[in-house]
Amino acid sequence: MYKLFLCLRYLFKRRIAFFAIASVWLCSAMVLIVISVMGGFLDLVKARSRGLLGDLVMENSALQGFPFYQEFIDELKRDMPDEIAEATPVILNYGLIRFPNGNITKPVQVVGIRLEETYRVNDFRQGLFFDRYYPGTTMLAPQQVPVLGLDPAGKLVLPPELEAAHAEWRKTATPEDLERAKKQKGAFFDGPGLFYSANWAEEGRTAPGWAQDELPGLISGIDICAKRLPDGDYERYYPRGYQVLLTLLPITPRGTLVDSSPPKVAFRLVDDSSTGVYDIDSLSVYVDFDIIQEYLLMNAQQPEDGPPIPARATQVQIKAKEGVDPYETRDRIRARWDRFMAAHLDQTSEPQLLAEVEIKTWEEKQAKFIQAVEKEKVLVTILFCIISLVAVLLVGCIFYMIVQQKTRDIGIVKSVGATYAGVASIFLMYGAAVGVVGGILGMVTGAIFVHYINDIQDLLTRVHPNLQVWSPEVYTFSRIPNVVKGLDMAVIFAVAILASMAGAVVAATKAARVWPVEALRYE
Amino acid sequence: MSRRDPFLQVRNLQKAYLLGRFVLPVLRGCSLNIDEGEFVAIMGSSGSGKSTLLHIAGALDTPDRGTVSFEGHDVFAMPASGRDRLRNQVFGFVFQFYHLLPELNILENVLLPAMVGSSVLGWFSRRAAARAAAEEMIEQVGLTGRIKHRPNELSGGERQRVAIARALVNRPRILLADEPTGNLDTTTGRGILTLLKRLSEQGQTIVLVTHDASVAAGAHRTVTLVDGQIRSHAAGGPAKAADSVAPSS
Repeated sequence: MYKLFLCLRYLFKRRIAFFAIASVWLCSAMVLIVISVMGGFLDLVKARSRGLLGDLVMENSALQGFPFYQEFIDELKRDMPDEIAEATPVILNYGLIRFPNGNITKPVQVVGIRLEETYRVNDFRQGLFFDRYYPGTTMLAPQQVPVLGLDPAGKLVLPPELEAAHAEWRKTATPEDLERAKKQKGAFFDGPGLFYSANWAEEGRTAPGWAQDELPGLISGIDICAKRLPDGDYERYYPRGYQVLLTLLPITPRGTLVDSSPPKVAFRLVDDSSTGVYDIDSLSVYVDFDIIQEYLLMNAQQPEDGPPIPARATQVQIKAKEGVDPYETRDRIRARWDRFMAAHLDQTSEPQLLAEVEIKTWEEKQAKFIQAVEKEKVLVTILFCIISLVAVLLVGCIFYMIVQQKTRDIGIVKSVGATYAGVASIFLMYGAAVGVVGGILGMVTGAIFVHYINDIQDLLTRVHPNLQVWSPEVYTFSRIPNVVKGLDMAVIFAVAILASMAGAVVAATKAARVWPVEALRYE
Repeated sequence: MSRRDPFLQVRNLQKAYLLGRFVLPVLRGCSLNIDEGEFVAIMGSSGSGKSTLLHIAGALDTPDRGTVSFEGHDVFAMPASGRDRLRNQVFGFVFQFYHLLPELNILENVLLPAMVGSSVLGWFSRRAAARAAAEEMIEQVGLTGRIKHRPNELSGGERQRVAIARALVNRPRILLADEPTGNLDTTTGRGILTLLKRLSEQGQTIVLVTHDASVAAGAHRTVTLVDGQIRSHAAGGPAKAADSVAPSS
C-alpha cells in the first residue's frame, strides 16, 4: 500500500517530476503526430490508389494501347458475373490544353473515359464539383453552354435542367453540405459554381437557357483550372461551358506519331475533378472515350491496302464484386487473358501489344509508391523513437536525482520494514505514473494537434508563405492527413508508460540497494 | 521460543568500517541479553559503538561477526524478507534526528509502518483499525491537535514524539531508541524520557542509546560501551550472565 501512496505523493509533491512528465508528454505527442500524419498519408495513398483505379487494372506499357479490349471486357462480364462488377476501357495520352482568354497553354495527360462506367468502377464521381451540386448534369457528350437568366420574379436562375438537379441535391444535402455550397458561390448567382450570364443587350433575351455551339465535354483536374486558396478551397477561373482547345498526339499502332499535323479539338469545360492527388489533379483532363479514341486514331479502321486495324485502349479498369479477393480474381483473369490472347494473336499486325498486357491489382500497380511511403513511415517513426530515447534518459536522470535527494527517506521506509522489491516498485510505479500522466497529456495534445493540423498550417501560411510545411507538389495530397487511430494512441500510450518505467529502472535499483543504516546516516 | 531462549540476544558482535585506506573497528565482540519488558540504556562516549550496536541489534545493519537472536531465531540467518518483517513488526525505531518523511503529515507518518505491512487490498480492510491505532498513539504522545501538520511545522520535541508514535503504531516487541533526546533541550528531553518511562511501565521493552547519564538513570539497567566493548553495568539490575564485560585497562 505504501508503494502506491508514496509514489502518488512524490508525483504531486516533487516539482522536478513535472520535467519528466513534460518530456514524456512532448515525446508521446510528437510520435503520435508523426505516426498519424505518416499513417494517414499511407492510408490515403492506398485509398486513393484504389479509388482511382478500381480493384484491377489491365494495361501494357505502350502508349498506343492494346486491341480487342472490348471483346475481353464482354467476355469477363459474361463469364465471370460473380466476380466482375464492372469493367471499362480507358485511353491515356498526352496533349496540350489552351485556355483562349488568358492565352494559357499547359501540358496535360488526356484521359479518355466512359463516364457512366467509370462512376461504377472507381471513385471518380466523388471528386466532381458540378456533379455534386447539380447531380447527373455532368456529361462528356457534345453540349452547349448553360447560361443564367432571369425568372419571372426577376431572380437569376439557371436553365431548368440544372435548377431541378440542384433542387434535388438540396433535398438530401446536410447542413454542412449547404454551408460548404455557400462558400462555393460564383459571381452574380447564389448557387455554387461559375456560370455565364446572358448577354441580354446583344441577344435580346433574359430567360436562362443554353447557348453557343455544341462541343464535347471536358472535365479538368482542379489544379489546372483553379487556384487553391490558403483555406483549402479553390477559386475557379472559368465558368461552366468555357471553351478550351486540346491539341492531341495521335500514335499509330507501330508507336510512331501520325504524319499529319496534331489535331486541335475544341471542348467545353463541363466540370472539374479533385482526386486529392496533386500529380493527377494538376495534369489530367478527362474526355469521352469514344471521341478521343477517334481523334487519336485508336478506333477501328479499315485501310484500303491492308487488313482491318482493331480499336485500341491503353487500360481496362475492373471493379470486383463485394467480398471478392482481387488477387484470386487477378489470377483467373490472367488465365483467361492468356487463352483470349492466344486466340487473337493472328488477328492483329502488332501481336506484341497483346503479349505485353499485364493484369495487376491496384496495390501491385501502386506498389512502388506504397512501399516507398511505408518505408518512409517506418523510417520517420524509428527516428522519432530514437529522439524519444532522450525522454527516457531524461526520466532516468530526474529519477536518479530524486533517489539521491530521497536517500534518507528510503532509509526511513526501509527502517520500518520496506522490502527491496517494495522500494524498487515505489520508483517503478512512480515512473509508470509519470508515463501515464505524460502519456495522457501527450495523447490529448497530439490528437488535438493532428485534428487541427491543416488549420495550423493555413494559419502559418497566412503569416508567411514560407511557413507552409506540407507541399501538395511533394506529398501529392492537397491536405495533411488528420485522422488519429485509436490503436496508434493505445500503442504509443503503452510505450510511453513502459519507456518511463525503463527510465526509472536504474534509479529504482539504486534505491532498492540502499542499506537502511547508510541511508539514515546520509547527509 | 523455548523457555531458555533469551528475548533478544546479542553474541560476540564485531563490526568495522572502512574509512579510506583505514579499517576502523567499532564493535570488538559485544554480547548482551535483553529480557522482555526490560528498559536498557546503552551508554558510551561518541564513537564507542553504541549506535552501531543498536542498529545491528535492530537489523538495520549487519555485523562482520557475531549473531543477533530474537526469541531464539538468528536474525541474520533469516532471508532479507524476514529481517524486513522483523523491522516492521518486532522492532520500532526512534532516531536522534527523528527521520520523518517531510511530504507526509503527522498521521501519515505514523501510519507508514502499518501501510508497509499491508498490501493494497489488505489496507482497505484494515485501514480503519490502523488509523484508530495511529490516532491513539498520537494521542498518547500528546499531539492530537497537530494530526494534519507536516513535520516542518512542529518543534523538535514534537517531531520526536511523532517518531515515537510511528515506532509504536505496529505494537513492536522492542522499541530501539537512538539518542532520542540528543537533539532536544533539557525540558523537552525530559518530556520524551517521561514518555519512554511510561511506555516501559506499560511493559514495553526498550533499548535506549544515550551518552547522557541522567537519561540513562531512568532505565532498569545501564550498559556502558567503551571502544566497542561492554565495560560495565549499572543501576536497576544485575549484569546478565551473558553480557560480556571487558576488563578495565
